[in-house]
Amino acid sequence: MTVDVLDPATLPVDDNVNPYVFCVDLNGEWFLQKGKMIAYYGDIRFDGLGHGPLDGLVAASFHSPLHAGHWVVAQGRGKLLLADRAYDVNSFDLEDGNLNIRSGNLLAFQPGLALKQSIIPGFLTLIGTGKFVAASNGPVHFVEPPIRVDPQALVGWADTPSPCHHYDHHYLRGFLGGVRALTGIGGASGEEHQFEFTGSGTVLMQSSEALMPEEAVGAVGVAGEQGRGVPGAGVPQQAGGQPGQEGLGGLLGGILGGR
Amino acid sequence: MRQINSKMVEARVVPGQRLFSQRGAMLACTGDVTFTPNIVGGQGGFGSMLGRRVANEDTPLMTVEGSGTVLFGHGGHHVHVVELSGEELFVEADRLLSFEGSLQQSTVFLGQQGGLMGVVRGQATGQGLFTTKLAGHGSVAVLAHGGIFELAITPDRPRHVDPQAYVAHRGDVRNKLSTALGWREMVGRGSGEGFQLELSGSGSVFVQASEEKF
Repeated sequence: MTVDVLDPATLPVDDNVNPYVFCVDLNGEWFLQKGKMIAYYGDIRFDGLGHGPLDGLVAASFHSPLHAGHWVVAQGRGKLLLADRAYDVNSFDLEDGNLNIRSGNLLAFQPGLALKQSIIPGFLTLIGTGKFVAASNGPVHFVEPPIRVDPQALVGWADTPSPCHHYDHHYLRGFLGGVRALTGIGGASGEEHQFEFTGSGTVLMQSSEALMPEEAVGAVGVAGEQGRGVPGAGVPQQAGGQPGQEGLGGLLGGILGGR
Repeated sequence: MRQINSKMVEARVVPGQRLFSQRGAMLACTGDVTFTPNIVGGQGGFGSMLGRRVANEDTPLMTVEGSGTVLFGHGGHHVHVVELSGEELFVEADRLLSFEGSLQQSTVFLGQQGGLMGVVRGQATGQGLFTTKLAGHGSVAVLAHGGIFELAITPDRPRHVDPQAYVAHRGDVRNKLSTALGWREMVGRGSGEGFQLELSGSGSVFVQASEEKF
């Protein structure tokens, strides 16, 4: 068995080095989530989002004060290697598109895309043209609606109408169902809550329900492991709750003037 | 059942043919499919349930019925589909991701396979005293930590498997724990491979590329 030693010339250009590492051929700027860079060649600077020379870029491509504290801009020239906890990493191209992705799964994106917060808590929306890199537990599987997806297996969706919640509790009907609901005997199937997608488009799924630990950014208040990463699960948040109002989030919020 | 990628399988559900699956292992579904928690924890009646409870092989299952397709996966573990055509598959209940209702599920006492040594083996492999047996025609999705592969066992060629990497076996296979303990183990300088599972007979054994148990 031979192992090729990679150098700047042999590293792939905007492609995967192996299923778990992605190499960005940087010439200009990329946005990346903090801590996802594992190595780089060349002359690259990493700047947090905030007041400074990046104002224009941030104003054009970054519209999520909640996540500002978790993103940096890499600028310069060189090869940038990205990875995330041995999850499968893949790049996707968007062409004048619109894609929603779980906030913890997005590693990096080109400034040609604009990052916004999805109306679904815990998800981000990318609009525009460009490349982005996302992580998933196991290879990403693409499916087409109509389909119902376990909330925790959902990575993202593109071009479909917004999903809705689907509650499946038919087995709690009738007398036995009532006994079951009242006493808890028999347990729950764990599949009562699903996201339902209709219309046309593509849904991206990861092959497991194990989630990446996520920052509590924009997620609706959830209780316990069961509700983790599931927008709409658990206790509804009161209007007074202000998630993510800390650190640089507030700073960028200041820039954006909205908060 | 169809393998979609290393960590996901797709199962087709048709009316009148049910499917059992670990609770919470559904990733997505199309069509009109319902998921009902199964109190009994699999097939058979109340007696079977008691048997499973006593044997600690009572992983919570749910019944999948209706018509459509379901995608299964669990916890980021690798999944392997085993097609059974009349033979028997022995597997720990918590490794069962899903299996077709056409298979007969039962709990077997490991002491039947090698008496006291079978019991010791059960302890070493983490199987405990009991394991689950599936027999008949149909497919089973088995979970494993890391990639999974199948090794053939022929009467003239027994296999030795690390007890921690053992996942399941099928066919007419006898297994026993073989020890390679010597003075080195006694003084704490062992190779770490003192216990091995020796499988002989005709069939195959499924091995995972990891020594992490469930």
